[in-house]
This record gives sequence, C-alpha cells and structure tokens, in this order.
Amino acid sequence: MTLLRRASVRHLWVHRWQTGLAILGVGLGVAVVLAVDLAVSSARVGFTLSAETVAGRSTHRAEAGPAGLDDGAYRRLRSVAGVTAAAPVVEGEVVARGPGGPAVLRVLGVDPFAEAPFRRYSGDRDDRRHASVLIGDRTTLLTSSTAAVLALDGGDWLGVEVAGRRDSVRVAGLLDPADEASRLGLENLLVMDVGTAQAVLGRRGLDRVDLILESDAAVADAAAALGPGGTIVVAGAAAGALQDMTRAFDLNLRALSMLALIFGVFLIYNSVTFSVVQRRRLLGTLRALGASRRQVFGLVLGEAAILGLVGAALGLILGLALGSGLLRLVTRTIEDLYFVVTVRELVISPATLAAAAALGIVGTLAAAAPPAFEAAMTEPRAALLRSELEAGLRRRLPLLSLAGLTLAAVGMLVLVVATGVETSFVGLFGVILGAALLTPQVTVLLMRLLRPAAGAVLGVLGRMAASGVAASMSRTGPAIATLTVAVAVTIGIGIMIGSFRRSLVDWLDITLSADVYISAVRPAGALTSTLDLRAVAVLGDDPAVAEVRRYREVTVPTPAGPVDLMGISIDSRLRDHFTFLDGDVAELWEPFVEGSVLLVSEPFAHHRRTQVGDTLTLQTERGPESLPIAGVFRDYGSDRGLVMISYSGYRERWDDPTVTTMALILEPGADRDEVINRLQAATAGIQPLNIRSNHRLAEVSLSVFDQTFAITQVLRFLALIVAFVGVLSALMALQFERVRELGVLRANGLTPGQVWTMVASQTGIMGLAAGMMALPLGLGLGVLMIEFVNRRSFGWSIDMSAPPDLILQAMALALTAALLAGLYPAWRMARTSPAEALRGE
Amino acid sequence: MSTIARTGSKARVGPRARGRFAAPHLGLGLGLLAAVSACQDTGPARATLSVTEILADADTVGFARADRPRVFEFPADHGPHPEFRHEWWYYTGNLRARDGRAFGFQLTFFRNALRPGASSVESDWATNQAFMAHFALTDVVAGRFFAFERFDRGAVGLAGARAEPFQVHVSDWVVESVWDHEAGRPVPPVRLRAAQDGVVLDLVLESAKPPVLQGDEGLSQKGPEPGNASYYYSLTRLAARGAVAVQDEPVEVEGWAWLDREWGTSALGPELEGWDWFSIQLDDLTELMVYRLRRHDGETDPLSRGSFVHADGTTVGLGADDLVLVATGRWRSPRGGTYPSAWLLQVPRLDLELRVQPVLADQEVDLSFRYWEGAVTVTGRRGAEPVAGHGYVELTGYAEADLAAGGSDSSSSSPSTGRPRNRTAR
Amino acid sequence: MIELAGLTKAYVDAGGERVVFRDLDLWAADGEIVVLLGPSGSGKTTLLNLVSGIDLPTAGAVRVGGVALTALNERERTLFRRDQIGFVFQFFNLIPTLTVEENLLLPLELSGRDTAAARRRALSLLAEVGLVDRAGEYPDRLSGGEQQRVAVVRALSHDPAVVLADEPTGNLDRDTGRSILALLERLARGAGKTLLIVTHSEEAVSMADRVLVLRDGKLSTP
Repeated sequence: MTLLRRASVRHLWVHRWQTGLAILGVGLGVAVVLAVDLAVSSARVGFTLSAETVAGRSTHRAEAGPAGLDDGAYRRLRSVAGVTAAAPVVEGEVVARGPGGPAVLRVLGVDPFAEAPFRRYSGDRDDRRHASVLIGDRTTLLTSSTAAVLALDGGDWLGVEVAGRRDSVRVAGLLDPADEASRLGLENLLVMDVGTAQAVLGRRGLDRVDLILESDAAVADAAAALGPGGTIVVAGAAAGALQDMTRAFDLNLRALSMLALIFGVFLIYNSVTFSVVQRRRLLGTLRALGASRRQVFGLVLGEAAILGLVGAALGLILGLALGSGLLRLVTRTIEDLYFVVTVRELVISPATLAAAAALGIVGTLAAAAPPAFEAAMTEPRAALLRSELEAGLRRRLPLLSLAGLTLAAVGMLVLVVATGVETSFVGLFGVILGAALLTPQVTVLLMRLLRPAAGAVLGVLGRMAASGVAASMSRTGPAIATLTVAVAVTIGIGIMIGSFRRSLVDWLDITLSADVYISAVRPAGALTSTLDLRAVAVLGDDPAVAEVRRYREVTVPTPAGPVDLMGISIDSRLRDHFTFLDGDVAELWEPFVEGSVLLVSEPFAHHRRTQVGDTLTLQTERGPESLPIAGVFRDYGSDRGLVMISYSGYRERWDDPTVTTMALILEPGADRDEVINRLQAATAGIQPLNIRSNHRLAEVSLSVFDQTFAITQVLRFLALIVAFVGVLSALMALQFERVRELGVLRANGLTPGQVWTMVASQTGIMGLAAGMMALPLGLGLGVLMIEFVNRRSFGWSIDMSAPPDLILQAMALALTAALLAGLYPAWRMARTSPAEALRGE
Repeated sequence: MSTIARTGSKARVGPRARGRFAAPHLGLGLGLLAAVSACQDTGPARATLSVTEILADADTVGFARADRPRVFEFPADHGPHPEFRHEWWYYTGNLRARDGRAFGFQLTFFRNALRPGASSVESDWATNQAFMAHFALTDVVAGRFFAFERFDRGAVGLAGARAEPFQVHVSDWVVESVWDHEAGRPVPPVRLRAAQDGVVLDLVLESAKPPVLQGDEGLSQKGPEPGNASYYYSLTRLAARGAVAVQDEPVEVEGWAWLDREWGTSALGPELEGWDWFSIQLDDLTELMVYRLRRHDGETDPLSRGSFVHADGTTVGLGADDLVLVATGRWRSPRGGTYPSAWLLQVPRLDLELRVQPVLADQEVDLSFRYWEGAVTVTGRRGAEPVAGHGYVELTGYAEADLAAGGSDSSSSSPSTGRPRNRTAR
Repeated sequence: MIELAGLTKAYVDAGGERVVFRDLDLWAADGEIVVLLGPSGSGKTTLLNLVSGIDLPTAGAVRVGGVALTALNERERTLFRRDQIGFVFQFFNLIPTLTVEENLLLPLELSGRDTAAARRRALSLLAEVGLVDRAGEYPDRLSGGEQQRVAVVRALSHDPAVVLADEPTGNLDRDTGRSILALLERLARGAGKTLLIVTHSEEAVSMADRVLVLRDGKLSTP
C-alpha cells in the first residue's frame, strides 16, 4: 500500500462514524434493491418454473372455454397426422391436509403414457413406471420437499378438499427430480392420473391438451379436429401473458427500491464531499509536496471505492436477509392480485448479486467523482478558505438551479409523452432529481425568510443557526435535498395510496348494491373457487331473498390472448351501480341485457387500447363470436381488466351452470345478520362459504387493499431510513466541521445548553426547510404518480385527494428526522471541552 | 408362446426396479408389475426379487388363475379376459410382394391389469387395464428393420379389446373384424392395421385352420405350482393379404400369419434364464410350434413344449423330450448380448429335421424391453420329403451381458447401427 | 539557482484587478540563503508560490535551476516541484494520518525515489534533528517545534535543489523558532541548497546571505 493510500485508509478509520454511515447508506440502498430484485425475481422464477413444468415442452396447446375440452378431444387430436405428440391435462387447486397441516397445492392431472415427450418428473425410466401406480388408482406423486411440508411419506393417505368436497389420495411415490429447476417446478404439485384428477376436482373433460405440432398445416388440422368450441394456441403464450400481468407491479417495486439506492448515493456524495472539504489543506499540502492531480483524484475515488465495496458487501448480506422477508410480502400480494406462486425460498443467482453490488459500487463512484474532481483541482496552496469554497458554490448555484429546472422539465415532458411504464418512471425520476438540484437555491431563499423568524424566537443563536445553514451550503445542501426528496416521496406515495383507497371506498359504496354476497371460501393462495350448485339452490330458496344475482367469472380465449369474462345477472337496480367512463348509458343497457354487447372495465380498455365501438372476438362453445363493446366502466376489481356480459348472454354461449359468486337482495325489512346466519347454517353441510353483507365485503376488500400495499409501505419506510442516515451523516459532518467555531463560542461563554440549542435549532431549521420544500414537491409527485405512473401501470383512474393530516405528518416527519439526526452531533458538541475543540485537528 | 418369463436378476425397468422381466409375449405384465412395487420402494435398491416373492405378493391376489383346464368358446375367447392379470394377441407373419420383396411383421397387443377388479375412481379415464403394443417390420431385401411401441390405457377409446365384434387396439394400431356389408355384420376375417413414421401395415387375415389349443388342452404350465399357468391357443395358419409400405408407396403383399393368444396370472420360474420360441409354417401346410425354456445352467427345462399341426388341422403335442434344438450360429448384438442365430431343429418322433435361418441377423427389438423377434426361413426334410417354409423366432434372456456390465439402466442409449432403427415416437 | 525576471502578479476579483507586485526581479545563487521580509499581505507567500510553480505569474519569467517554470504545464510543474523543491510551512502541514517517518517518506515516494538509500538518508536526517525515537508516532503527539523539525527534514528528505520556507517560525515560540532557523541553515548549507525564507523573524536576518524586503509590490534591500 502506498503512503497515500495508507493515509486515506487511516483517514476513513479516524472518521469512522462518517465512514460507517456512508457504508450503511450504500449498504441499505444496495440491500433494498437486491431484496426487491430477489423477491420479485424469485416469485417470477417460481411462477415461470411451475408454468414451464406444467406446460412442458409443448409447442401448442388445445384449449376451450370454461367447460374445458371433452374427453374425446385428446383421442381426436392424436389421430391428426401432424400431431407429433399430445398429452391431456387437467389442472386445479386443492387444499391438501397432511399431518403437517393444510396447504394449497396444485393438481396436475396427466396421462403418464403420454407424458414422456412433454414433462420430466424423475429419471426417464422412473417416469415410465408412473403409469402403473397412477392410472386407475387414487394415488398421487409429489416431490420429497412438498411431502416433507405436509409431513407425508410414500404410502400415506392425503386428504384433499375442493370446493367443499373432501376426498383422499394415497402417496404412491415421491418424485426425485433430476435437477434443481425441475424440483422447483414440481414444488407444491400433486401429480395424478388425469382420471384421478377429474375425480378429485369433481369435474369432467380436460383443461387442455398439450401438443407438439410439426407445421402450420398441423395447427389447422388440429383446430379442425377440435371442433368449434376449442382453439389451438401457441404454448408459452399463456405463461407470457401471466407474466405480463405482474410486470407493472414488479416495475413499481423496483422503482421504489431504486429510490432507496439513490438516497444511498446521495449519502456517498455527501460524505465524500465532506471528506474533501475537510481535507482541503491536507490536499493542498500534498499537491505542494508534488502529488499530481491524478493522484489526488485517485486518492479520493479510492476512498469512495472502499466505501462502495464494503457498502455493497454489507448490502448483499442485508439484502439476502431482507429478501426472504420481502418475498413473503411479494408473493402474498401477487397471490392476492394475480395467481398462485409456488415458491418458498429465494432463488439467488450470482448475476443478481453481482448486478446489485455493481449498482452500489458504480453509484458510489459516480457520486464520488464530482468531489474527487474538485479535490484534484485543489490549488497546491497550503490553505484555502472555507468561505471561498462556499462562495464558489454560491456562484454555481444558479447553474445548478438551471440544471435542476431543465431536468425536471425534461422529466415532465417524458412523463407526459411516454406511454410505457418504464419511461414513466424515468420521467418521474427526472422530476425528482431536478427538484433535488433546485433545493439549495430554494434553501438559500428560505433561510432569508427564516433568519428573522429564528432570530425573533432564539435571538442571535437562531440567526446564527439560520445563516449557518445558508453559509455551509456545500454541507447542508445535499442533506436538505435528500431529506426533501425522501419526505416528498413519502408524501407522494401516501397521496397516491390514500387517493386510491378513497376511490376504492367510493367505488365499493356505489358498486356493492346487493345486501348479501356469497362466494366459496377461497383457500389461501388459490386462484379460483366456485359455488357448489346444491349450495346455489339452497341459497336462492331462502324466504327472505327477494332476488338472486349470479356471477360467473371465467377466462376465455380470444385471438389477442385470454381475457377475464364475467357473466352477470343484470336488473334495473344494478344499473345505477355502474360508473361509466365511456359509452351511451341510455342506450347500452338494453342490448347488454339481451347479451348482444359487452362492457369492459377501465383497465381492460387501457391495456387493450379498446374503446366503445370496438369489437372483441370471444371463443365461445359455438365457435368464435365477435361482440361490440358498448361501454367502459370504472372497476378496481382487477388490474388485468374485466369483460362483462349478461349472465343469460353467457349461458347462451357456454353450457356452464357453474356460479362463481352470488348476490342476494333481501325482502324489505329482512334482518340481514339473521339471514346470513340462517344461510350459513343451511349450507354448512355442503360447502364452506363466505356469506357477507355488503358492508362486510367492503371491509374485506379494503383489508386486501391494505395488505397489497404493505410492501409499498415497507419500501417507502426503507427509503426513508436511508434518507435519514444521509441526513444524520450530513449533519454530523457539518457539526464536526464547526468544532473550532463552536470551541471559540464555548470559550467566549456559550453554555453547553446553548450549544444544544444552536445545533438543534440549526438542524430543526434544516428539517423545516426540507418539509416546506417537500410539501409542494410531494403533492406534485402524488399527482404525477396518480395521473401517469399508476395509470400506465394498472390502468386505473384515481380521484386525487390529499388529506391535511398527511401533510402535517410529512412536516412532522421532516422535522423529527432532522432533529433526531441532530441529537448525536449536538450531544458530542456540547460535551466537547472548548480547549479540545480549539486545538483543532 | 406363453409364459411369464422372469429371468436372471438384474434390474431392468429402472434404477430402482427390483426385478428384470424379459419382455415380449410376457413382458408388459410383470414389467409394470415390477414398477408398482419399485415405485413404493424408497429404500435402497434391491437387485432381485424372487418369483416366489412376487407370487406370494398381493400381486396375484384378486386375479383369476389358470389352475384347471377350461372349455374354450369362440368367438368369446378371442376377446379379453380382464379377470386375469395379463393377456396378449400376438400376430406375426411372413409376406411377399409380387416384385420379390419379402417382409416379416410383428404386431402384438398386450393387456395388463394394473390391479384386480374395476377402478374405484369416478372418471371415464379411470381403468385398471393398461395396454401396450409392439409393431415391427422387417424389410428383408433392403435389410431394414423397424420397431415401434405404444402404451395406452383401456379407457376413453384410447385402447381396448372386445370379442364381438372383435377388436383389439392401442390408439390407431388395430385388429378388428371385417364388416361384411352384405351380411350387415362383422365376419371372421380380421383386418390388421398399424402405421408409424411411414412404415405401414394393412392386412386382412383369414384363418385356414381351427384354433390349436397349446399345452394340456389349452392350459400351459409355466411352473410346477398350480395356477402358475396360462390359457394358450394359436391360429397357426392365417392367410394374409394386403399392403405394406416402407417410407414409400405401398406394395401389395400376401403370405401367412400366425396368432398366439394367451392369458393368465403367472410368472416364470426363478430357475429360468429365458426362452427360445419358434413358429414355423411349412410349405406342405403343416405348422410346428416349439418353445424351449432355458435354465440358468443352460439346460432345457422339462416344461418346454411344442406342437405339430397337420395339414388337416389335427395336432400332435410335443414334450421336452421330443425336441432337439441345436444352435448353429451366433449373432452379437451391437446393443450388448450374444444371441443364437441359426438352429438345427429336430423332432425325431415326427422324423422332422429343419434348419432355421434368420432373414436378417439384427431383428432385435430395442424398446421398453429388449428382445430378439424376427422372421426366419426354414429348410429341411420331413421323412424323406424335403420341406421349406417360413417362421418367426423369439429369443429372450440373451440381452443380459450388457445389463450385467451396465448395471441397471442400459437400453436407453443404444449405439447407432447405421441402419434405420425406429423407436416409438408416440 | 533562482531567477525571477519582470515578474508581475495580479488577481482579478469582485473589486477589480488587484496587483500584488509588478515587474519584479530576483536572483539567488546555488547555496545562497535569501531572507524575504515584508508586511502582511505584501505578497511574500505569492512569491514563494510562483517560485515553486504552484502559481503562475501574470507576466514575467521564473527559472529555477535553469528550468523556465512559466513554460511548463501543470503536470510538468508538479513533477518539477516533486523533484526540485522542498517546502516548510508556517502550520507545519504534516499529514495527520501518516506517522513521522511516513511523512518523511511521502515526498520520496511521490518523486519515485523511495530507495533504501533515500530512506536511510531521511532517517539519518531525523536522527540529526533528534527525533529518531519518535519516528513511529503520529504528528499530533509532537509539539509544534518537533513538528516543524520533522517538516524541515521532510523538505530536505528528497534532496531538492531549492528549499522554500514560509514563515517557518511564525507558529513557534522565540527559542524554538530560533532553533528551527538554525536547523534550516545548518542543513541547507551542509547540503548546498538554495534557501528562500519568508519571515518576520529578525533572527533569520542574521543567518541570511542576502536580505530583501517586499513592500508595495517592490523588492528592496533593507
């Protein structure tokens, strides 16, 4: 190690508090990015692997609407000349009850004889034996790890429950997949014979037939063999579509995590700038002794590299720990909103780790480059006055502000012009960074305003504190900027979530028009569940029930991919409970009731870029049918979007008596709770049901909403912590730098208490300034997130509402963060004896 | 032929399989049976499982046994007997086209009950009957051999068998009664169809002789224990006419085919290594069937049998002592193992002496089970008269060398022999 | 050898142009000890900065050891300074995070002359100033006089042709200052260095070969 390097390492050690905070900042930033990346990609890998496992090596798949394919479709497809291989599949979810407790597992019903070209379970030869243990028997195969969770062994019986029907299957064997990917893919899967799967799931027909097709001609022939109800789709398209669903969600999480890293980088900038300013004389001496500019640049950047490396290493450790925690939240949210994810552990790839570490190190170096450059430009004079530095900064302030304005303007432009979610975030980040660059100028102006006020309250100490903030802009600037942005983002996200929630509440109020809603108990994590038809009959028979509405929600193939279709019983009362964003409300009901037009939800119209007047081609059991879209309604039920058809229109096209949800309108004067209890008792023997009043359903919906945004809140909090560390670090730097000044003041009779007052008032003023700037910025960010980011991500329009308490909270947050951050420096300053302080370095 | 043969000791079905079961006439039944037990075996692999263990096992419980002679009734007995564990319809034959090309074919349907009784699972797909079919064709002049395999369950129209109107099929490989439009009903001739990868067989078979009951009035003992036997009859002279295509335009063919029918719930004795089975159709319209059960010590097992069918359909049963079988040639399989490849077959009692020669050395079927099953030509004398003819030979228990060397799982990677050799694709 | 010819230095700031000195000439021979006196703000330090190549004149020429510094770029001047100049500062300016010994070795390392012989020389110089037993300590453990002795040794450790001292006694008591000046003189004369001292100290005058006064932008003899 050269002497220069040695000197710089010792410098880091001497200022270990500062060093530690900088490392912590980078570490936290990297950790949050890594954790989110790991959680999101693990959930995704889990989903992809299971999707690939169940899709196998098929090139195409034959599928039909809700009723599925008839059993004979498989035989017909096999006899088509270009069909190289075909395999029938029945899928579903069951609640499995093993000694280890209940778990929601996915049933994969297959014909073992047809599986070889498609899926691998264990070894080749092992797979061949599956036929003899699965076909015709109440048996299942599952991986050893899934069996371990259920505390099962080969030969044990496993209880399975579907839509209230109980059954049991015997574990015929444990799968021992050849590789890790197969193992993950087979996690949480009950592999059964197709017949057993039908019996367990209580259904007939096939969900799909996986195909390996040789040519386009074969696709056409297969479609012909399938008949009008079915379609041949390219395999993998479905998995891709499902992945697309969570893309916006993933992106939002990643963007939030990037924010934490940006705060971390701010912190590095802060810390390195401080170390340069603090060592101006030393750097000048070095230059006088003959150190070249490159050597000085390298010295400073080298220190930053050490911070970055150690910080990144810390970040990897923290990130891995944090990742498992976030994974639960992410998968929970994905399951609430999208689909079942079978993943229990983080999938850690070296590439992910390397990317997160590289991001931290590169960010650190980038942040350290400007101060390092400044250090290199240090004139080799022994001393440069601090005031000169600040004067230089003040001279550059207009330039900085201009850059900030430009950046913010470009960001706005990108936001407005952009259509994609990614570009929207780029624009938003531009606005945030631009605003951050503007904060020093605004701070200077604010200090001019605050100085008399502070003077009035705290006298000369207050005035000194206020002018100290403006005079040490090189120190206070980044700290205030970081705090401002962090608080603003908090306000912005708060406004976004709050407005969203408010809109949801309003929507639920309008939408939940019936008195009682009934759905089957959806096992945690399961995608769908349907009502037992016996229960449907019992429910409709209750004397207190005036009217019954049935809803059937299914996924239907279209040429543009699958859509969620809801058949809905419609009556005059229900009409008032739609809010239309597009379409002629007076004219659309009649044809809708007839079943000749469709209504689509706002996210559907947004994602599919459809509007009133367009048509949508649905694959019905009678073949493809094009129906016009007559209206676009507001709906927060699904960000994928929903297509509505009248229930009778649905039944005309699909021979599917199943009901997903029921709504009951009670006779006037009926006691709602009494009716619910009665219905609960009447259906107890048939199927466990959620029978809820409209109020209760609204509550449940809101709790799901809150759960969904739990991860957002966590990330927001983490970003705030990083910002707090940044402010703490900046304030400490500032106060330690003023050791001599404070020493002089102490020598001249300032009491320790007055030191406290002064330091606290200075940090308080900084917090106040940050809060004052964060407020408009936060409101603006809230608007931008609602109008652009959220809309582009999910397609929902939200009515903006900014609760005043949120604004107060934000101010309090800024002040508290600043004051907390000032505590330790104030304590240190007050404790330091004037003599020691005066001795200087 | 007949017999559930279980030979040697090496696991063959899979790494954890306990027993090795040589295939063809016999295989599927115990092959899958082995899988049943193997799949639940999560403990360390055991190399062997004695037949007594299998027999003592629950595997035969609940199944009917061939423990006494029975009265065969046709056409009912052409159809399936699902109360027995296994059953097969074994069609082989030699065909000739007008342009001189000669073909041998094998189309075999195996039925195997995975467990006794009907499936308790409520689904149209649920069944305890599994089917396997092997389809092989020897293109003698071109020196090519093709073999394919299919598995399917006996449900939802994927595979199955019935007596009237007769049909046995695994997907679209099928043998069924020809529909007589004039009579408005199916009639005895059967149509046999199988095709894969451009290899097509489409024949109409009509029996020229009544069924021949093999063994003791159709009861064929596979071991000394009662019930370890099967019911066995043959149609030894089926006139075949139809078309064959080998990745080309179909050519018209005619010739003679042979059906072996057998069902039971039996196993091959532990002392047995394998068997050599011969079905020979001579030009004088007589037929000879011989199976020699080989013991591990190389001796012929006394349970070996044969039968000779006169031109008028009368039958002479042959015991082990009546048969002299000497291998006169050897063929080394590129996939491991050495097979006898030419024989001198003598039946002194009938003053019959035949030399049997494969039409192609490599007619080894390398599918889920590996065995040699191929067309042969026959020359010799009966009394003073020279005779000639064609036949089919099945050899099991020879593919062992590689199994011993390669451990448990060897046949998944057979070396390329440079000639088309087709595996199942479906 | 130091040659300054027609040297002018002016700064431009908010208050307009401020001339430090104009058309100034100075010549110092090898091994000569020149003491530069002058009131605060007269431009003494600026003059030193010009001689060391830290700063560039507005007009005129600076030659040190025959090298025209004004013709060199920043990098070349840094390399020149590294090799040819030794500095002694008023505030010692030892690197606080390096030990005494490391402070001595730093110029050697920077000029790439970190040889065993050079190290021995530096240590023997340290012994000469009586601080060899403090070699492993950090500067803040040393008194001001001790720190300045180390600084003097550092200025000479890499064997420069010219030693520049800027108020070397300004931060020391009279006795200590005197001993530092004596040390400087002894070492400079012993090694034949050109020594340019900017000072207020009267003691310095007594050891000088030549004394100059900088006042109102003009050099003169007292």
